[in-house]
Amino acid sequence: MCLALLPLQAFSQDKKPEPGVFMKDPGSELWRQVRQRDVEGVGISQVRGVESGVLINARGDQWARFRMNQLSTYGGIAIAAIFAIVILFYVVRGKIPIEGGLSGKMVRRFTDYERVVHWTLAIVFLFLAITGLILLLGRPLLLPLFGKDIFSLLASASKEGHNLFGPLFLVSLIMMFISFARRNIYERGDMTWLIRGGGLIGEGHASGGFFNMGEKTWYWMVILIGLVIAVSGLILVSPAFGQGRFIMEISHIVHTIGALILMTVSVGHMYLGSIGSEGALEGMKTGYVDINWADAHHDRWGKECHEQNLIISAEEYARLQGQKPETGKMETAEQTK
Amino acid sequence: MIENLIDGPLWYFSLAVFVIGVVWRLGSIIFASRKPDLSVARGAAGPAAVKTVFSRFIPHKEISAQITIPVVAGYMFHLGLFALLFFAAPHVVFLEENLLGFGWTPMPHWAFIIAAQLAFLGLIMLWLRRMVSPVSRLISTWDDHIAAILTFIVMLTGCFALLEGSTGLRLLHRFTVELWLIYFPFSALMHTFTFIPSRAFTGAWFGRRGIDA
Repeated sequence: MCLALLPLQAFSQDKKPEPGVFMKDPGSELWRQVRQRDVEGVGISQVRGVESGVLINARGDQWARFRMNQLSTYGGIAIAAIFAIVILFYVVRGKIPIEGGLSGKMVRRFTDYERVVHWTLAIVFLFLAITGLILLLGRPLLLPLFGKDIFSLLASASKEGHNLFGPLFLVSLIMMFISFARRNIYERGDMTWLIRGGGLIGEGHASGGFFNMGEKTWYWMVILIGLVIAVSGLILVSPAFGQGRFIMEISHIVHTIGALILMTVSVGHMYLGSIGSEGALEGMKTGYVDINWADAHHDRWGKECHEQNLIISAEEYARLQGQKPETGKMETAEQTK
Repeated sequence: MIENLIDGPLWYFSLAVFVIGVVWRLGSIIFASRKPDLSVARGAAGPAAVKTVFSRFIPHKEISAQITIPVVAGYMFHLGLFALLFFAAPHVVFLEENLLGFGWTPMPHWAFIIAAQLAFLGLIMLWLRRMVSPVSRLISTWDDHIAAILTFIVMLTGCFALLEGSTGLRLLHRFTVELWLIYFPFSALMHTFTFIPSRAFTGAWFGRRGIDA
């Protein structure tokens, strides 16, 4: 009987609860002091390893806050802004045409090997950029969109893919350096291109050699910032070489900022190399460019091509590409004579 | 539901298509009727066949400069893929538990990573060479591109599932492998099995005619 009445008794007690007594977490003060003490928090531990004597890494919180608040936010804004600028530029300026149009007469600009090197680096870079952005911006942008299950798959896949493809970026970068370094050394005349804002200031195109000042600067940005990204990435992906948390945190920040710089500038490079400038993509697509394009954008190199008689006819170009000659283009070539 | 399909019926179906398809394709090549060679033999066919199988691993001096990318990238990709396929720890365990009943020592994790990177870089460069070289582009068919892209996707999903911590990623990899197995016998991927008989046939044909090729 008494046992049967117990729940009712308990219920009656619940109706008028006694005010609870606040018990301070006995450990919180201790951990706060450990976290906030002035000295570097290195203690003694029997565990052997890098920073195994560190009880709490207070600086880790600063790094995590910086990553979540500043790096993600401003990084996302930078990427969005560059796309907006490029779209706006295209709307205002449109595709930059070749003066005199396409002649149909072509000149060899890149070998097959050079194009393979360029596109290998481009593919690896794009893969790393996409997976890197998923890791950086995925939580605020993709998680609400896809939900936890799908986002966890995406993030996990991106992390593995990013880590595996990272060293390929370094290999591609070295191939890029060996293939293109000589032609990207700055020379007399490059400053004129810079003063003219690449042709944006004043009338007509700015003078340029095989690569103009803008392309050379982009090239050295890719090589130098790319090297920084690759080295910092290797530090992050190989924690077994004795680097501590501080080096890892700094590497992560340097890695992300470097990658964001390359990503934003690469959007401009991709735009100018494709829909932004008539005839530019042909160089990396077929290895040949129209001689009028060379004369307009790289006049000093174009002059060399004329002098050394390196220009081939539309028919010869079509034969080399395994195509039937396009009648329209041939007529255009005749008209320009 | 989908897990049961991918791990069960679809796996057995793709394996059956692969085995029957490969046997049928090889059989149709081996047992194809040929006209008897009535010419007087000027050399031995057998040794020439064996010689050609091995000599074709090294490019001819005359053309080696022009085909550096396909040769180097080709070796990187094929050796990397072979190592991944037969010596990656998850594959060794899978083959032991599901197909063979015995296993062997897998390669260490660092070797796995290097093999995967070599295979990826090699495949990307091979496919790009196919696209940028006018001659390669002309002789390439849709099948060549699909085979390359499908192989790339299989490798990529494999690398995504590297940690083996996610059922979804494992299933994605297994599903792409099953598609690859179904596509294999009817595509350029069959060169895995035909390259040796093809070389031997060419070598024997030339050898009988006294041609040193």
